Amino acid sequence: MNILISGGCKNGKSFFAQRKAKEMAESSGRPLYYIATMIPHDDEDHARIKRHISERAGWGFTTIEQGKNLADILDMPQIDKSGVFLMDSVTALLGNEMFDDEGNYVETAAEHVRESVLKFARETGSTVFVSDYIYGDADRYDELTECYRKSLACVDRALAAECDEVYEITYGMQERWK
Amino acid sequence: MILIFGGAYQGKLEYAQKNYDVETVCDCSNGETPDFTKDIIYGLDGFVLECARQGREAADFFRDSREKWQDKVLISTDVSQGIVPVDAVMRAFREMNGRLMLYLAEEAEQVVRVFCGIGRREK
Repeated sequence: MNILISGGCKNGKSFFAQRKAKEMAESSGRPLYYIATMIPHDDEDHARIKRHISERAGWGFTTIEQGKNLADILDMPQIDKSGVFLMDSVTALLGNEMFDDEGNYVETAAEHVRESVLKFARETGSTVFVSDYIYGDADRYDELTECYRKSLACVDRALAAECDEVYEITYGMQERWK
Repeated sequence: MILIFGGAYQGKLEYAQKNYDVETVCDCSNGETPDFTKDIIYGLDGFVLECARQGREAADFFRDSREKWQDKVLISTDVSQGIVPVDAVMRAFREMNGRLMLYLAEEAEQVVRVFCGIGRREK
């Protein structure tokens, strides 16, 4: 079963996602993987990663660091594709792929991310995806930011159609959309 | 009247076209005044922004034309959940949009929220 979880910042999405993934792994007796998507750039990033690692301690996750090209995980010999995967987050993956190492905008990124998450969902059949709801602002942003919002929405909608369950998390409370 | 709302880029228009017997669309995203000869009035927030720029109340326009949109599908982007804008016109727009949505939701037979392309009846 594939699951998509979205919602606002610091609303408890990751905790809910961890619980879902753990339940799936326990009931099926399969390995539990955490796909870490953040590529750290400064001290703030390192501190956030440290906090995330401590929040996952004792949950039984094996961490896979993959900030780009999600589907490459499917070809890693040490990974059991029938395992349960927690992919946190789609937002970071898109951000990493939309800008190259020099900070240039990569036009094909949205489509590449959409295709790779769909492929990943289909081939594993048990992935929990976490994304971010960034669509409630009144301000209109610069072209690049709007392009990012639009691209993430496009990936989210494709994933929502593919996943078996879709949840919106608000302050730790879940609303099931599918 | 059916009112459809949701965040930006959530697939609101596609949802309306898929689920209701509607054909023609009036797109107000760039500030156009709603044309009630069309089945769907899309991008209401664009019209509201234009009203905010001109300093007139969008909800008054809808109150005055009430009989014209009774059988329409109205679609608007929910802009109420983000950061308070720095610009005064954008702040006025955000609040004016809220007042219009309150009025329309009250008037609507059905209210639907769209999230990631999925619709849910709120009323």
